[in-house]
Amino acid sequence: MHERTLSIIKPDAIGKNHIGDILSRFEKAGLKIVAAKMIHLSTEQAQGFYAVHKERPFFKDLVTFMTTGPVLITVLEGHNAIAKNREVMGATDPKKAAPGTIRADFAHNIDENAVHGSDSAENAEIEISYFFKPVEIWKRTR
Amino acid sequence: MKQFVLTFLIALFTVGTAAHAEQTLSIIKPDAVEANHIGEIVARFEKGGLKIAAMKMTKLSQQQAQDFYAEHKERPFFADLVTFMTSGPCVVMVLDGKDAIAQNRQLMGATDYKKAEPCTIRADFACSHTKNAVHGSDSPVSAKREIAFFFTPNEIFAR
Repeated sequence: MHERTLSIIKPDAIGKNHIGDILSRFEKAGLKIVAAKMIHLSTEQAQGFYAVHKERPFFKDLVTFMTTGPVLITVLEGHNAIAKNREVMGATDPKKAAPGTIRADFAHNIDENAVHGSDSAENAEIEISYFFKPVEIWKRTR
Repeated sequence: MKQFVLTFLIALFTVGTAAHAEQTLSIIKPDAVEANHIGEIVARFEKGGLKIAAMKMTKLSQQQAQDFYAEHKERPFFADLVTFMTSGPCVVMVLDGKDAIAQNRQLMGATDYKKAEPCTIRADFACSHTKNAVHGSDSPVSAKREIAFFFTPNEIFAR
């Protein structure tokens, strides 16, 4: 199934200059980058993005972490992009992430875990439109 | 007098250091985007000590490409260059670091990929003289103009 998913390279991975390494993992896995922008999330943007977690005990720390530095937001496109991206990222907890995954190689811990990826087709659509206007998403014919 | 000399030396050192901290504009061109080399090229910059201070994917309009390359408008390759640069999306970035302009040019390699040093971006990823994977500013004056061409100050981040 041809899909799109939202990916965020988080402030910890940006701080360690792993943008290129992480984007390479996506591209080598057959995911094409069809939109990209670097931004520094405001507290409101981070709270809005993670609204689904707002009752969870980690919410405040997550919002604080996500606003500590710039992030790189991308839209990835490809066959089964949502599942493929999750496979390439590895488990949320880097200690449980399979060897060779992004989180196994670049994440500090479960809170500063290098990347975010949409977890369902419904959320991918919501998350993509949270950050990108349709004109900011490019057609990749090759 | 001793105090004066010390102050003078500190001032000299500060100015000297500040002169090396630069920003430059980099474009990953449509050929390299199509070939899915974005990550590999960005990794060359990061491993070369340059930090990504701004980034966005965009597709140049005809007008934007003509304006960006205005200094080449009388050159025979101008029309082909504009056509190529508008053939697909590209990734524009501000690279930040010590001697960023020269460092970026070193990492890119010669404009003609056949003359590019081994292991440079162009030696490894360029397909032809026009489809040469990357653009980089060639002087502090161009860097300033080119960065402002694509980014507003609030799109460029302190690293």
